[in-house]
Amino acid sequence: MNAVIEVTGLTKQFGSVTAVSDATFSVQENTISGLLGRNGAGKTTLMQLLTGQQFATSGSIKVFGESPVENARVLSNVSFIKESQKYPDDFKVKHVFRSAPWFFAEWDAEFAELLIDEFRLPVHRRIKKLSRGQLSSIGVIVGLASRAPLTFFDEPYLGLDAVARQLFYDRLLQDYAEHPRTVILSTHLIDEVANLLEHVLVIDAGRIIIDQDAESLRGSATTVVGTRGSVEAFVGDREVLDRETIGGLASATINGLDGAGKAAATAAGLELTPVSLQQLVVKHTATTDMNDHKQEVEINR
Amino acid sequence: MTTVTAPRMITPATTQSRIWAVTKLTLTNPWTAIILPWIILGIIFLANVAIWLLITRAAPIGAARDEAIEGFNYGGASSFIFIYMLIVAIQTINLTFQYALGYGVTRRDFYLGSSLTFVLLSLMYAVGLTILAEIERATNGWGLGGRMFAPVFFGDGIWFERLWIFFTAFLFFFFVGALTAAIYVRWRSNGVVAFSVGIAALLIAAGALLTFTGNWAAIPDFFAAVQFLGGYSLSLVISLIAAACGYFVLRGATPTN
Repeated sequence: MNAVIEVTGLTKQFGSVTAVSDATFSVQENTISGLLGRNGAGKTTLMQLLTGQQFATSGSIKVFGESPVENARVLSNVSFIKESQKYPDDFKVKHVFRSAPWFFAEWDAEFAELLIDEFRLPVHRRIKKLSRGQLSSIGVIVGLASRAPLTFFDEPYLGLDAVARQLFYDRLLQDYAEHPRTVILSTHLIDEVANLLEHVLVIDAGRIIIDQDAESLRGSATTVVGTRGSVEAFVGDREVLDRETIGGLASATINGLDGAGKAAATAAGLELTPVSLQQLVVKHTATTDMNDHKQEVEINR
Repeated sequence: MTTVTAPRMITPATTQSRIWAVTKLTLTNPWTAIILPWIILGIIFLANVAIWLLITRAAPIGAARDEAIEGFNYGGASSFIFIYMLIVAIQTINLTFQYALGYGVTRRDFYLGSSLTFVLLSLMYAVGLTILAEIERATNGWGLGGRMFAPVFFGDGIWFERLWIFFTAFLFFFFVGALTAAIYVRWRSNGVVAFSVGIAALLIAAGALLTFTGNWAAIPDFFAAVQFLGGYSLSLVISLIAAACGYFVLRGATPTN
């Protein structure tokens, strides 16, 4: 495996607010990674740091082995599609697709045409007149057709309907299979993309709290359900992510329950259910101090 | 780890072609920077012709007519285009910066490519206005004694002096616009306010200096000495300073939402 991104001790502060805090992780070549976290957790800031758009306060970022900041050798390989993308005032949709190939050596015009048709994008319309969903389609199409070796999608599909989102997932997977590249996707719709992801990074209040391959992450937590007494007895000093009680019944989501643990739970008469990626992320990120979040959200406005 | 191969990378385009790509990007839609200004100029010209016709008809003979035609010398009709280009520069930097960065363009390439756009536009408008000014002079003000493209503000020299004057004037407005936009992109409104206050303070200080040293006469003397051509050539120094400052300001800028 080859690391395309290597981040060590990365911190980014805006005034007194820490948007990214001492992050260390790497992203392997030709994988699809999910960057998950709540609003204001630091996802966009992290992506901006990785693409040289923001300057780090401290720590090191290596993208293709070099710092991305003002580095054309690195940035020629990068496409960064963000939800809040602004376009020049007088641009029509066609101007985006006329200019994009000048910046992406491996741009596939035919693929772009196909996607424009599939997403039903009106090419002669001014960008200012597009709906939220159509605006998102432009980004999605540019991100896919650019075929950049390192592609970032930051909340790419605000306002896209379910059909268009499914189309995006299908096309992304299909094109990724034919033209392998490294994709980093940040999203709130975790369940929808869970099957796409090979690796998951969860950021919360600026800290990377999960950095794990998706397969092992999915199996990492288990919910046990049973009578209150038996659940309490089973939990003991195991790491509990979430606990609920309804009348005499209780459920507990336990982190890192191994085979022996599962067997013990079954023996104790408890029911085991797997935890979806989305539930897992919610449980890991819901408990942190709300004041931190408020600050983070404000700085991102 | 048995085999370590570097991740696949695209060979980057040459510096020149990266900069040229940005120049093309800023002109992808030529409407705002190239087509619309000529249309506006055309409409202003037609309006001027109508006014010249009205005035010369109202004052058909004698001193009144001569006085009116003398007044045509001070027409400011073509000055809109310079202010317009200041705004084009601001819009180009402000609105294309984020967009270009998303395409993996460096700030350096973005600024150099935009600057090339501004130089090329300056050249195009300078050539266009010079040709129109020459026609105006050759036809004695479009047969009406009117002056729109060769008013007194651009000197009375031969064509290549006029071309140089137009060119330097355009560069001045483009790069002052570029610096203003770079300041805005980096520090938002606060930066632009501070910049404006700074410039105003500088001008007031210069005024104070001239007042207390009793040297106000030095200003007209200076411009009389350097003449039109020298004055416009000197603006090139300001344009260059603005261009260089814009570069350093923008290199530290980050996109904001």
